[in-house]
Amino acid sequence: MPETVTQLSVGYGPIIMLLAMMGFSVWLGTQAQKAVERGGFMQGYFLGNRGLGAWALALTATVQSGGTFMGFPSLVYTHGWIVALWIGSYMVVPITGFAVLGKRFAQLSRRTGAITVPDLFDARYGDQRVGLVASLAILGFLTFLMIAQFKAGALVMKLTWPGTETMALIETATADAAQNAYDTRYLIGLGVFALTVVGYTLIGGFLASVWTDMFQSVLMLIGVVLLFVLIVPYVSRDGMDQPTLKAVAATGDAYAFGPGFSTTGLAFLPLGAAVSFFFTWPIGGVGTPAGMVRLMACKDTPTIRRSIVLLSFYNGLIYLPLIVICICGRALMPGGFAPDEIVPRLAIWAAPDVPGGSLVSGLILAAPFGAVMATVSTFLVVIASGVVRDIYQRFLRPHAESNEIRWVTYGVMVLLGVIGVVANINPVQFLQKLVVFSTSATASTFVAPALMLAYWRRATAVGSLAGMLGGATMVLSLFTAGPLVEGKPMFEPYQLLGLDPIVWGLAVSSVLSVSVSLITSPPPDELVAKLFDALPSVRAATKS
Amino acid sequence: MTHIVEDTLVRRARREAALALAIWLVACVYSVTFCYLNGYERTADSLTFVLWFPDWVFWGIVVPWAICILLSLPFAYRLMGDEPLGEAVDSEEPPASNEHEVQHA
Repeated sequence: MPETVTQLSVGYGPIIMLLAMMGFSVWLGTQAQKAVERGGFMQGYFLGNRGLGAWALALTATVQSGGTFMGFPSLVYTHGWIVALWIGSYMVVPITGFAVLGKRFAQLSRRTGAITVPDLFDARYGDQRVGLVASLAILGFLTFLMIAQFKAGALVMKLTWPGTETMALIETATADAAQNAYDTRYLIGLGVFALTVVGYTLIGGFLASVWTDMFQSVLMLIGVVLLFVLIVPYVSRDGMDQPTLKAVAATGDAYAFGPGFSTTGLAFLPLGAAVSFFFTWPIGGVGTPAGMVRLMACKDTPTIRRSIVLLSFYNGLIYLPLIVICICGRALMPGGFAPDEIVPRLAIWAAPDVPGGSLVSGLILAAPFGAVMATVSTFLVVIASGVVRDIYQRFLRPHAESNEIRWVTYGVMVLLGVIGVVANINPVQFLQKLVVFSTSATASTFVAPALMLAYWRRATAVGSLAGMLGGATMVLSLFTAGPLVEGKPMFEPYQLLGLDPIVWGLAVSSVLSVSVSLITSPPPDELVAKLFDALPSVRAATKS
Repeated sequence: MTHIVEDTLVRRARREAALALAIWLVACVYSVTFCYLNGYERTADSLTFVLWFPDWVFWGIVVPWAICILLSLPFAYRLMGDEPLGEAVDSEEPPASNEHEVQHA
C-alpha cells in the first residue's frame, strides 16, 4: 500500500463499475415490468402487487440513503467517535421501523384498497381533506429533496471520471465542483444519471425502485466489508488502540470524546442534539412516506417479522464497521482534502495491492452512486403516485382508463426528470441539510396522525388534520427562525432549549392530534368498525 | 350496548408497537445517559479501549447495539405473531371516502 495519500489516481475501474451498475439497474427495470404486468396497473406499478418479501422490505424500507456512504463517513472523519452516538439510534430502527406500523398499514391498505399514503388517510377518516393535505405535504417535502439528489448523482459520475483528482461527493465538494458546474463532465454526468434513473423507474415502477434499492444495499455491504478488511488490520497492526490514538494525535483529545472534535468552535453533539437524534432516525423512519408505502406493499406478517431480524444484522454490519474504518482513515490521512472524500480516498488507497485493484476501488465507489440512484428512484415513484393517484385520479379524472393513467404516470416521471436536470444545471446547495429538514418535516407531519390512524378508534379527521398542519408548521417555523432570528445559514434551524425541530414538531403534532380529536365529534361507528373490527367471516369462524 | 370484537391483528399490533417504542425509549435513555456521563469532557489520558472502541463507545453504543440485534430474534420470532392480512380489494380507483364505502375482503 502506498505510504502517502497524495496523487491518488482514479483509473478506469470506477467508471466501468458505474456503467455496469447502470446497465444492471436498467435490466432490473425490465424484469420488474414483467412482474408489474401481472396485475392491474395501479396496484402493480405503484405497489408491486403487494408482494414484497423480507429481503426487499428489510433492505429498502428504512432510512438508508446516499447519506449512509457519503455524509455519515464525512462526519466520523471530521468529528470523531461522538458520531457513534449520533448514529447510535440505528440500533432500534429495525424494530421501530417495522413493528410500530408495519402490520396495521399492510392490513389497512388491503381493506381499503389504498395504493398511496394519502389514499390510506382518506379512507381511514372518510374525509378527502386529510388525503389532500397528506398528498401536498409529501409533494412539497419530497420534491425538493429528490431534485437535490440529482446533483449528488452527477457529481459522483463527474468525479469518478478517469484522471479526476478531486473525489469529494457532496456539500464540501462544491468548493471545486460548483465552480466548475458548467463543465462538460458534470453536465454529461447529470444527463446520464437522469436518463438512467428515470428510465428504469419508468419501465418498472415501484418494483424497479425496490429491486435496485436492494441491489445497492448489497453493494454497500460488500463495499464496507472490503474496506474493513483492507484498512483496519493495516492501521491497527501495532494495537487496536492505535487508530484512535493516531487520530487524536492529529487532532486533539476531543476527537475521542463528546461533544466531538470541531474546528469551528461549535459543539457538534451537545446533550440536546444527542437526544434529538434518537428521535430523528428511529421515529423519523416511522414517518417516512416512502417507508410507509413499502409497509403497505409487504406480502404478509412473517415478512415483517423476518425483516426486523435481517435489518438488525445488516445495520450492525454496516454502521459500526464504517465508524472504525473512518477513524482509521483519520489516522492514515490527517487532512488536506474535503472530508467527503474519505471513503473514495480510502478505496483508492487500499486497492493497489489487491488483484484487479482498480475494479475493487470501483466496486466500493459504486456504492454511493447506487445509493443516490435508489434514493431518487424511490422519490420518483412516491411523488409520481402522489400526482397521479391523489390529485389527477382523485380530483380530475376519477374514472380514467388504465391506459390513460399509465401515460400520465410516464409523463409525470419524465417531467420530474427534466425538472431535476434543469434545476441542477446550476447545482442546488444544502443537500445534507435538506435531508435533515425533509426527515424532520415529514416525521412531524405524519408520525402522530399515522399512529392514530392505525391504533386509535376515537381519532378524527379534524384531529389528524390539526396534527399534520401543526407539526409541519412547527418545523417550518424553527427552520425559518434559524436564519431570521439567529442569522444562521439557510436550513440551519433555531434549536429551542437545545433540541432539534423534530422533537418540537412531534410534540406539537401529538398534542394537537389528540386534543382536537377529543373535542370534535367521534368518527362514524360504521367506518371505524370496518377498519378495526374482525370481519364477519372471521368472527363466525372464531365462534365455531 | 354494542359488543366490539376488535380484530386480533389490531390488538396484537398495538401491543407490539408499544413494546417497540418501549425498547426505543430504554435504548435512548441508556445510551445517551451512559455516553454523556462517561464520554463527554474527558482527556485522552483516561482513555481505555475494548477492541477498537473507546470504553464509553463500547459500553454505551456497541454493547446495547449487539443486545438489540440479539433481541430482534425473540422479538420477531417469539413476541410477534402472525395474522392474515386479508385479500386486497380492487385498487384501480381511489377509495370512495365520502361514501364510507370501505370494502371488506
